[in-house]
Amino acid sequence: MKFDMDYIAHNNALTESNPYVKLFLTIILLALTLILDNLYFDVIIFVVMSVVILGVAKINYRSYLKFLSIPMAFLVITCIFLVFFFGKGEVIYETGIFGIVVRSDSLHYAIYTFMRVIGCLPCLGFLALTTPIANILHCLESLKVPKILIEIALLMYNTIFIFLNEIDTMKKAQETRLGYHSYMSSFKSLGALASTIFLRSLDKSETLQNSLDSRGYSGELPVYVPKKES
Amino acid sequence: MHVMEGYLPFMWCIIWFVISFIIVAFGVYQIKKIVDETPESKALLAVSGAFMFVLSSLKLPSVTGSCSHPCGNGLGAALFGPAVTAVLATIVLLFQAILLAHGGLTTLGANIFSMGIVGPFIAWIVYKGLTKANVSSTIAIFFAAFLGDLLTYVATSFQLALAFPAPSFATALTNFLTIFAVTQIPLAIGEGILTVIIWDRLKEYKPKLLDKLGALAPNEA
Repeated sequence: MKFDMDYIAHNNALTESNPYVKLFLTIILLALTLILDNLYFDVIIFVVMSVVILGVAKINYRSYLKFLSIPMAFLVITCIFLVFFFGKGEVIYETGIFGIVVRSDSLHYAIYTFMRVIGCLPCLGFLALTTPIANILHCLESLKVPKILIEIALLMYNTIFIFLNEIDTMKKAQETRLGYHSYMSSFKSLGALASTIFLRSLDKSETLQNSLDSRGYSGELPVYVPKKES
Repeated sequence: MHVMEGYLPFMWCIIWFVISFIIVAFGVYQIKKIVDETPESKALLAVSGAFMFVLSSLKLPSVTGSCSHPCGNGLGAALFGPAVTAVLATIVLLFQAILLAHGGLTTLGANIFSMGIVGPFIAWIVYKGLTKANVSSTIAIFFAAFLGDLLTYVATSFQLALAFPAPSFATALTNFLTIFAVTQIPLAIGEGILTVIIWDRLKEYKPKLLDKLGALAPNEA
């Protein structure tokens, strides 16, 4: 399924640990990595956070690699662009194709950017893979983020999963009828799918509002926070 | 394309956060006003946000072969206006960072600015302008989605060129724009067509809702 990350966030060794610690740790580490902008520090952060994710949180290394793989692909492509098309310093390598050259400062940019992203990704991964979204939102709420924002976000989070199931069903139905056979038909199918989801979503929103109202919803979703077992 | 985690230097992260924060705060204020007037619109907003998120997880058949997705900005802006869309986009981008590892936390500000503010704002202006000029809303929504999408990438190029001004800001901007133009123009057309298909169905099945939101062209209402 597409949302492995949500499942992992709910099922790992660090799910129950204090979300504030995790949130602040992530933010501080991210800021530090960006401010220092130091190649060695990036590598250290990468190694430490990977060890924490794999060792302490006990997340399957395959899921972790999968989490890293998509941004990595983008990163490699953009850094190649940075190497070849930027900079004005001295030429250190000539490719001989269309006069494309590698310059010293473009190489510097590319390496620093590459390492910075390498350092930051595991930090994001740490938060994303160990903390369920609802916990993050409750943290934000106690940090004075407007309540209305949090509530819309929580309701959204709830609805996303309902939609994904529906999309799954609809897409399978369309595929069995060759809906994605050709380019034009896939456009048509996708349009039909998206608009149907939107119409459904309107009905859903009404149902959701009714169900909330009938349970005495007054613009607040109180949450039970269990006491820590000491 | 989202600017990925850690891609921007620290200074630019802060700058984009500050700019986005001001506009999103205004959007939150507007949402508060809407919700105070009609409490039942909260569910509608939440579900529309979820729709935006889900839409972005659908893969758009792209001509260039690069896999990409519609962002639903144009549609959101035409329906709810740019300020509300900015808030919804903020939440969507946060979810994308945490659930899908698209974009990131440090670059959240920059992403909000390009995808949640510039894109919807342009789309909204184009849509309102065209419908005022008596163009049918179907054509207007195409150009709104198309230009909204395109300008999002122009904004992203600006941000990247500002962060990497080598050898100069102008050359960096041209470089980024050419890179994006190759992949994004077909994509923007794709998003335009998709939005038109969705819009047509909406007009067919929920004309009253569109009318209530004030999203239809004056001559069609």
